[in-house]
Amino acid sequence: MKGTLDRIIGNRMIFLAVLFVFFFLLLAVFVKDFFTLYNLTNMTQYAVELGLLALAETFVILSGGGGIDLSVGSIMSLAAMVIGVLIGRAGMSMALAVPLGLAAGTFMGYLNGVLISYTMIPPLIVTLATMYGYSSLALLIAVDPRFGANPMPVSNFSDSFYFLGQFRIFEIPFQVLCVLIPIVLVLLFLLNRTAFGRRLYGVGSNETAARFSGISVRRVRISVYTLSGFLCALAGWIITSRVASARPDIGSSYLLEAITIAVLGGVSIKGGEGTIGGVVLALVIITMLYNGMDISGIQPIWQLGILGVILVGAVLLNQILIARRRI
Amino acid sequence: MKTTVRRVLQMREVTILGVIIVLAVVLSLTTKNFLSTSNISNTLLGLSGIAIVSIGMTLVIVTGGIDVSVGSALGIASVVAGKLLMAHASAPVIVVAALAAGFAVGMLNGVIISYGNIPPIIVTLGTMNIIRALLFGVLGGRWVSGVPRTITPLGLGRFLSLPIPFWIALVLIAFFSVFLATRSQGRAVYAMGNNADAARVSGVNLNRTNLFVYSLTGALAGISGLIYVARTGIVQTNSGTGFELEVIAAVVLGGTSILGGKGTLVGSLLGAALLGLIQNGMVLLNIPALSEGLVTGGLIIVAVLIDIVRARGARP
Amino acid sequence: MDTILECRGVSKNFGGVAAVRNVNFTVDASEVHALVGENGAGKSTLIKMISGVLTPDEGEIHYKGRKVAIDSPRKAQEIGISAVYQEPMVYPELGVLENIFLGRELKNRLGGIDWAAENRKARELFESLGISTQLMSERMGALSVGLQQQVLIAKALAYDARVIIFDEPTAILTEHETQRLFSIIAKLKERQVGVVYISHRLEEIFAQTDRVTIMRDGEVVGEFPTREVDAKRIIGLMAGKLLVEEVAHAGKKSDTPILSVNSLSLAGWFSRISFDVYQGEILGFSGLVGSGRSEVAQCIFGVLRPDSGQILLDGRQVSFSSAEEAMRHGIAYLPEDRKVQGLFPILSTAYNITITRLRDIAAAFGGVDRAKEREIGEAYVRDLSIKTPSLDSKIYSLSGGNQQKVVVAKWLGVNPRIFILDEPTRGIDVSAKSEIHHMIARLAERGMAVLIISSELPEILKLCDRVIVMHEGAITGEFESGDITSENLLRAAIGERMLSEEAGREGAP
Repeated sequence: MKGTLDRIIGNRMIFLAVLFVFFFLLLAVFVKDFFTLYNLTNMTQYAVELGLLALAETFVILSGGGGIDLSVGSIMSLAAMVIGVLIGRAGMSMALAVPLGLAAGTFMGYLNGVLISYTMIPPLIVTLATMYGYSSLALLIAVDPRFGANPMPVSNFSDSFYFLGQFRIFEIPFQVLCVLIPIVLVLLFLLNRTAFGRRLYGVGSNETAARFSGISVRRVRISVYTLSGFLCALAGWIITSRVASARPDIGSSYLLEAITIAVLGGVSIKGGEGTIGGVVLALVIITMLYNGMDISGIQPIWQLGILGVILVGAVLLNQILIARRRI
Repeated sequence: MKTTVRRVLQMREVTILGVIIVLAVVLSLTTKNFLSTSNISNTLLGLSGIAIVSIGMTLVIVTGGIDVSVGSALGIASVVAGKLLMAHASAPVIVVAALAAGFAVGMLNGVIISYGNIPPIIVTLGTMNIIRALLFGVLGGRWVSGVPRTITPLGLGRFLSLPIPFWIALVLIAFFSVFLATRSQGRAVYAMGNNADAARVSGVNLNRTNLFVYSLTGALAGISGLIYVARTGIVQTNSGTGFELEVIAAVVLGGTSILGGKGTLVGSLLGAALLGLIQNGMVLLNIPALSEGLVTGGLIIVAVLIDIVRARGARP
Repeated sequence: MDTILECRGVSKNFGGVAAVRNVNFTVDASEVHALVGENGAGKSTLIKMISGVLTPDEGEIHYKGRKVAIDSPRKAQEIGISAVYQEPMVYPELGVLENIFLGRELKNRLGGIDWAAENRKARELFESLGISTQLMSERMGALSVGLQQQVLIAKALAYDARVIIFDEPTAILTEHETQRLFSIIAKLKERQVGVVYISHRLEEIFAQTDRVTIMRDGEVVGEFPTREVDAKRIIGLMAGKLLVEEVAHAGKKSDTPILSVNSLSLAGWFSRISFDVYQGEILGFSGLVGSGRSEVAQCIFGVLRPDSGQILLDGRQVSFSSAEEAMRHGIAYLPEDRKVQGLFPILSTAYNITITRLRDIAAAFGGVDRAKEREIGEAYVRDLSIKTPSLDSKIYSLSGGNQQKVVVAKWLGVNPRIFILDEPTRGIDVSAKSEIHHMIARLAERGMAVLIISSELPEILKLCDRVIVMHEGAITGEFESGDITSENLLRAAIGERMLSEEAGREGAP
């Protein structure tokens, strides 16, 4: 028995798979309405924005050197507001506004990367500062002069805007099929099968050796933060389309969840370790848990609390696994 | 004599004081209201909460850690105070309860960080959200307002025409400055931040030091929560959100190095003063309050950058 | 003379290799006892056992007549053994007083720190050692290394040390500071303290010490009162009779140098280094640890930037700002510290071998051709006889020797024209060493220019056509074929001053 337990805990993917099955059965049996086609397909739509942010964190944390991005929620809010204001107030077409919004978010990520790589300021501090800076920017953009100096959400989008967030194909939400899954596949390829992915793992697992092996640590790190900015902006677009309104504070609670999913999925805070597969599994588990808690009427606030507990537990688990490895 | 003068001038604290004076002069010349007693008094009142918690945050950052949960700790302490006020509890009970609430949060952080060996950012990020959730739960999503004036003097009272909270801050800073200088636990904090390995070998108990700095920070956040309720008379669900950024900004502006090992309480007080001045200036100059995040975030980056450039220049 | 410290039959093994073997070593009160030996002779291991960083596998340590088990540095300090290392362990942002008393603060009745008492004690210690009391008000980080060292000596005395160990103390000191140190050591002797003095500077040893112990290959090969031995004898004992079988290679040396270094300098590491490198030749860089050899190599490789001087490749001046640039020009560098600089421990063998050749295994869309990767990996595993369960095994599970082979494979794959190997066989078992040596010979045969930086004399003697010796950042000798003897190399490694010393002594009446 102990041997099996050891093996389960020892292999992250197996552990997550077991966890998934466990919670799935638990919820299916004890929570009414969980195990229905509607619910199962419905809950996947919440997973998209969260998943994008978690994947963003994954790449950033993988790059090591204390890599972390606290500004993911803020970039998401900012991109959402840019798109919202451009379409809703400036009357721009979607085909123009969306790319601009995505570009804005990507640039914010790039800025993070540059600050981190060219100054010696720890990523924690840089993204802490930009977290507040970017959300402040989002608030400023949201100010509608017609209504005074207060930030206002934007909700007057044309119907075509909602295809992204509210459309379904065979009951499966559009954004899952056409955004999340393709992105996951692309990132999977990027991380496991490209030279860039190689370099990323190298920089994260041993920065000095990477430098001595001819890898440009700077370029790799700037790239991951830029990628993070892009993914967050994408999430901002999707959620705006889904809830039919652009709000400047839309990203505030996502930070903790994104990091929790990444860490639970096996991404080591030290860098150089982690897989997309693990993160996706963790995403599924967390989404399931949230959904289950929602349906059974547990208040959102307690959900956040439970999430905090899960985060700490997940990191503890990581520590145990690393200690067992005896390098 | 000359070397002493030069050394004094090189001190970070003096530089900040200089900036504060310059900024104050500029503001008094460009705005009508800056020099009025009410404005100065309000500014001091506003920055007291930050100054108080900056004591603990300075020590936390000196040990190489960080605490983003202070806002939630402040929140929960203010909720506890608010609820007890509405229940007509006596002042001493309220004070102790609020302190205890903050202390408990800090202790929780300290325990998990020490014994779980988890990075402080992760732990305090987790507790920040957990405590905020708890706060919502206790308040039931509503605000508390119109509290009895049992502890109001704490927040709005004056002594020698300066707000009481400001005096509290001064007293606490003086007390802890002496503490750091005269107790080995104080030295241990700086030793840990300078060279944790050497400290451990010299017999410093790193876990106890961690417990100390984080629970102190929590307790101080509790005091600030108390003052907040006393000042405003209301308890909101989002009391204290964004507070942690201001405290970190004050500490960093005050010369504490983000990499650990270096920082003074007086410096953080001056940092808080500078921050308060800038915020006051923004209000007087009609810069939208929404830009606060941009300004504070930018300040943090600039301050840390200056520190890093200086450190690099000083190395032999 | 009272014996304060005695090591009896002390041994220490690391992974089957004996670092220290059956060593007897004593320290008496009021004496300065020098400990000399080549790198890897076992000096630092012995010292680490005395100061509590390591514990002996065999043997006993007796302190003040009683057997003790020194299981931690704190324990060592408590019984009165202190060590002052080359790189002082200090708290830079704290003051001198804090640095001295940290962990052992003098307290007053209220339990608070008694600044006055600490001040008094520090003042007393400083004065007895002749250290300027002005230092007491300074921040530790503001002091020069020499002054920090003085504070640490005072700290040792604050702990009532009876044995103080100095590990290469003068390596980082100025002439003036060195003199100060010697006068402090004299004062220590007056206080009945026993001093262990590790150094390579024979002239210091002859001037300042009472006894000298020479170690080689983990054993004590000689112990004499200093006045009864001369430099030649000491070096002879350090080097031993090295009979090495030369590994010949059929490579032909090219006529013009492929790489020329002119007057290269890097503050704090080396100055005015000039030499040429030829294809088909194995050039050795000998010298003591810290002589600056690795740093020269790293400047050539682009990881460090020199302050002045030129590097010419194929006759044209180059200045590389990154390893990638150097690699593109055909230079490879096998780093000194494979764990930190050479390997990615948690990643696979295949990854480690191919990380320098991402371009060769490229596929469409920036992808990586897995089949090609395996092909390359398998080829090297075969060629270098790398023992690994599979190409996917994580590197940390391989033995030291096999890990090193992986790093070698990684760089061979780049097909460099110039291959710099920094301590290529450090920490490797004998058979793997031999394999790598033969491989290096083959490289030269193929026309590569090979530079070997090594602190192991046998290795240098075995392989090199030419040897350049560096000492404290300068070139002190260049030898070819027949002149490459262990004695010549060692003498140059310890510094030219040695020769004049010897001449002076031999000529003295």
